[in-house]
Amino acid sequence: MKESSSTGSDPRQPSTAKPYVPPPFSPQDLPVDYAGFLAVVLGVIGVTFRYKLCSWLAIIFCAESLVNMRNFETDLKQISMAMMFAIMGLVTNYLGPKRPPKAQP
Amino acid sequence: MVKQSSSRWLAAVPSIFFPRGDSLLFLLAIVSVVSLVTNELSRSYVIAADFEGFDTDEFEYEEDANDAILSHSINPSPPAATSLTQSSTAESHHEPPQPSVIEDPPAYGVEHGGKPYASSTLEFWDEEEFEGIPFQIADPSPDSPAEPSEPPAPVEAVAGYPVPIPRQPFSLSSYAIEIVCISFLIAFAINFFIGKRQNELVALCWASHFATKDSIFDKNFSLLGTGDGKEDAPLLLKEGQDVFKFYASGRRFCQGLLATMELRNRHDLIARLTNLLFNKKDTITFEVMMSEDAMDHVVLAVARKKLAKSMHKECRDLQRFATVMPTAPSGRRWVAEDLLVVTESKEIAGDLITDAVIDQVFGEKAFEKIGKGFISLHFSDQHPADTHKKLLSLKLALPGANNMTEMTRLVNLVPYYIDLIGRYKPSAQARAKTEAARAKAAQEAFREMQGLRQETLQKKKAEKKKIVEEAEAKLSAEAIRKKEEKERSRQMKKLMPKVKMLRSH
Repeated sequence: MKESSSTGSDPRQPSTAKPYVPPPFSPQDLPVDYAGFLAVVLGVIGVTFRYKLCSWLAIIFCAESLVNMRNFETDLKQISMAMMFAIMGLVTNYLGPKRPPKAQP
Repeated sequence: MVKQSSSRWLAAVPSIFFPRGDSLLFLLAIVSVVSLVTNELSRSYVIAADFEGFDTDEFEYEEDANDAILSHSINPSPPAATSLTQSSTAESHHEPPQPSVIEDPPAYGVEHGGKPYASSTLEFWDEEEFEGIPFQIADPSPDSPAEPSEPPAPVEAVAGYPVPIPRQPFSLSSYAIEIVCISFLIAFAINFFIGKRQNELVALCWASHFATKDSIFDKNFSLLGTGDGKEDAPLLLKEGQDVFKFYASGRRFCQGLLATMELRNRHDLIARLTNLLFNKKDTITFEVMMSEDAMDHVVLAVARKKLAKSMHKECRDLQRFATVMPTAPSGRRWVAEDLLVVTESKEIAGDLITDAVIDQVFGEKAFEKIGKGFISLHFSDQHPADTHKKLLSLKLALPGANNMTEMTRLVNLVPYYIDLIGRYKPSAQARAKTEAARAKAAQEAFREMQGLRQETLQKKKAEKKKIVEEAEAKLSAEAIRKKEEKERSRQMKKLMPKVKMLRSH
């Protein structure tokens, strides 16, 4: 079957070769970055309510978002913001003033 | 604040400081002094309570104290016992730090043991004799009895010791979140590098099988890769960690070919875990942009039944031009049972799915063998994509990196169909039919366009009208006001002379 396909001599035509033109990029075409969004939300929650777990989850989702990054410029803003919130949450949690202990015997 | 820092200091008492010899004695002395002080203060508290008429409270307190003694003797090591403000503040002013483990129980014993005595002596006291006195003492005592005697001591102690690290209990469970999260992050990072390498390996294996020298694409295209065709130009373009693109151009009948490999998200641990549930495959999609003059009227799709039906619903060109081909053309071998052909006309499908193709790929026997690598085939000269209308697309599943040769036959379909469709001319009958359908579609599209244009025009007109009307309304409002003013002034003028007239009369 394959022999029949190339009945002509050489199918190649270097004269018609066109170099690759990347399709115009539009930010709307990118898939929605759920991980980045979750990271921002969790980071904010972690900072405001001082939930350690939320800050840690925010860091994990930051990593997830960072790993799935397609376009460097547009995604980096969101990720860096989420990362800032997450790290801020952790810093206030571990290094900030301690809350009065809960258990009173 | 004082209370807070003292409790922190207590928590910070490190385990390395164990009482030795003199210091232990010294500590015991201090503790006894402290307990005496607290005893005195607590007695005054009890007196206060008594004079306020809270006898029952006093007994409760006594019981509480007894409970405390019991509980402390049962649990000899309360590491972060925060209620021990009195003992902690008191002992903080001397030099060697002692573990709370040993010192606390005696302190409690003495302190609380003294209280019943105080309350029993109280019974002999004349109540009226002490009226009004205890209120002054009672006020500070409930909070922290040791405070009035030496309040700045704990602060100094905190500043003086070089180890203000808050020591937390040694149980792993209190660090569970941190341990889980950090180990997950480490696993995530390790998986990222492993998965990235795996994906790259699959893509490179594919490229080395089909795009290197003397391979299928090298024999068919003069330009390979996304570079400018020089020797060391990269073959693959990487978009993200799971999408690789291969571009080829310079062949008769077509302008170019773009193969997009969409691999599993191996680099992403979370996606990898979810992929365990949904079995996702590595796929490669070949899209051939045909030359404008090289493709006649062809709309054809072949896929497994379920997918073919959904494609028929979703793809606009299939929806508009094609129908499901229910039966095979008579007197011919046809595609395997699993497959469904969606086409514009029976004749075109019969011409394009040749015997050779049925032999090699779509026939019952061949499909059984290599069918797992085939996903869908979609040829159309009316492709809904904006970039290029005449498009052949072939979607295949990628085998593992080591079994790339399995898909050779399927990949061979690409150049075969470029040539076949490039040369194909449907018969006059079929052409007339398809021509009519296209003319109708074009007309509809034109009408739609016109409708849209008219709509926009009308919208613009309406907007203009609105603006003019508003301006007029504004103007007219002003004009009316002016008119009214004029009228009023005229009336005033009319009235004035009348008044004068009246006066003159």
